[in-house]
This record gives sequence, structure tokens and C-alpha cells, in this order.
Amino acid sequence: MTEAVKILRVYVGEDDRWEGVPLYEAIVLRLRELGIAGASVFRGIAGFGANQRVAESVPFGLSHDMPMMIAAVDTEEKIRRALPLLDEMVDEGLVVLSDASVWGAAGR
Amino acid sequence: MLQTGPAKKLVVYVNETARYEGRPVHEVLLHWLQEHGVAGATVTKALAGYGAHGTLHVSRPFRIREDVPIRIEVVESAERINHILPFVYDMVPQGLIEVQDTEVVKHSPQPEPASEAERERERIKLEGRAKMLRVYIDEDDMWEGAPLYEAILKTLRMMDVAGATVYRGVLGYGARNRLHKSGFLGLSHNLPIMITVVDSAEKVRRAISVLDEMVGAGLIVLSDVEVIKYTHAATTREGES
Repeated sequence: MTEAVKILRVYVGEDDRWEGVPLYEAIVLRLRELGIAGASVFRGIAGFGANQRVAESVPFGLSHDMPMMIAAVDTEEKIRRALPLLDEMVDEGLVVLSDASVWGAAGR
Repeated sequence: MLQTGPAKKLVVYVNETARYEGRPVHEVLLHWLQEHGVAGATVTKALAGYGAHGTLHVSRPFRIREDVPIRIEVVESAERINHILPFVYDMVPQGLIEVQDTEVVKHSPQPEPASEAERERERIKLEGRAKMLRVYIDEDDMWEGAPLYEAILKTLRMMDVAGATVYRGVLGYGARNRLHKSGFLGLSHNLPIMITVVDSAEKVRRAISVLDEMVGAGLIVLSDVEVIKYTHAATTREGES
């Protein structure tokens, strides 16, 4: 049984802050508060974007402001509920939505 | 403003001693071009040459006024070149004027306040329907002696793509059907690399035609996305001040 869902992807910088905590962390916490089924954070190893800076990782975790991507999957209705919040939180970055199908999900 | 892509190059050859209303032609020309907002002009002096008169002109040290060819080069849009050409023609009494097709690969002037409006337009243009491109390659893939993912990132930047992010997978198998696994203390190598790009369908398609050549063994996939928000640092700072 498949279900049409949306994938939300938010691209921010690792050093972006929101009320004293990393922005990516704040976004995940707010998505959880909104009851979004799940969210994962990915750290890029290089990239460029809205700020036009090229970030490149150096060994031993000393690099900074790497691109961070937060991905969340849920129904369109629930994902759209998170958009005004993201609009407020993301000062510099990218928010995109795409279609996906879920083939059953445990714990829903 | 000069844009990347097709453009025209205007080259004028005059003698250093040539005069227009009592002043050296190359000086008059350069000032005129600057006053008329032409993107840029370069004046170079030749070591030797011959031209309209058939006489050989050679640069000799310690001579204040040299009788050598001067070359003035301008790169602008075809439209601008056509506009200025009649004036340049009039200012060059003797010499050679040529126009050739060229392609602007990079043009990065000092950022000016006016470009803010352009970025804003770009931002609005990107919002709505867009494409997401994903490229899957190996960490050890090389291109011209550098890691392929770095080369791809540089290429995308040169193409003025809105943004790209490179991720390193922790496990995977793919085009070469080998299993890649990360080892102890991050010492493993040849892990899967994924590069994602979000931009307009047109920009992404242009990027694909270039990446297609660079990605030997790998995977390139395209999907539809809806851009909800795309913001620049400059736009927000402007808003805050």
C-alpha cells in the first residue's frame, strides 16, 4: 500500500545559529514539535550556495560552515504546516519540496 | 552590464603618434569608452609592427615619443559594440578596427548596489518549479589530476548554478558493483559521493550536458522539486539594516 508524501529538504550552513543553538538542530526540534514523522540531518563535505562561499572539509573535523541538509518526509498537509516556521528560521539557504511515495512505514 | 555568454571583442590598432583633436587617439578613445560606461578596455603597446603606411615601427629604449602600434581592446555585448562602433570609427583617423565573436566565461566586477535588484530577480525566478540533480560517483574518481567531485563543484560554480552540496556516503555499491565501506578512524577510501544541485530546469539541463562528459562511471538523476525559499546573505542583511 503506497502513500503519496512530500520530501522536505532544507539547506543551511553548519555555523548558522538560532537562539543560541545550531540552526539545523533547532529546525529538527521544531519539526518534531509539529509532529512531522521524521527528520535527518546530513553534513556535506563540500559545497556552495546562497552565500556563494565554497566550503571544503579539512581532516580531523576542523573545517567549519559545511553545508547541512535536513530531510523530512511526511504528508503534504503536515509538511506545509512547517513552511511558515522555516521561512522565519532560514535567513540564508534553500528550502525545497519534492514528491515521493512511501511503501509502508513502521511505527505510524 | 556584461553577461557571461556570447559577446563581441573590438580591437583597434593605431599608432602612438596618431592624434584626434590634438590628443593621442588611444587616450581619447580610452576616456570616451570609460565615460560611456563600456565594461572595460585595455591599451597595450606593441614592440614593433607595420600597418597602414607600410613602414616598420620599432620601439627604441629611452625615447619619449615612440612611433609604435597601440592596441585597444574592448569586450562588450554585441549590442553595445554596435552602438559605440560609429564613434570609434570617427575617432580613428588611420589604423585598423576589427570586431570578433567571443565568449565571456567569467566576469566578476566589484559588487554594486544595483546588482542587488538583479539577485532579487534571480531569487524570485528560482522559486516555484525547479529541478534537483543528483550525481553519484566514487570518492577516488579523478578529473585532470583532482578529485572528480571537486572538479564538478568548480564547474557548477563557473556555470553560475544556484548551489551544490557534496555528501560522502558511509556505505554503498553502484556502477562498478563494488561494495564501498567506511573503515576504522575514517581511514577508508573510495566511498560513494553524492552531489546535489537545485536550480531552474534550463540551468540544470545545461549542467547535465557538461557533467555527462565528466562522469565516466556513475549515475546522474533528475527530479522535480518545488522551491519554497531561496535566500542570499546579502538580501537579508539589506533587510536588517
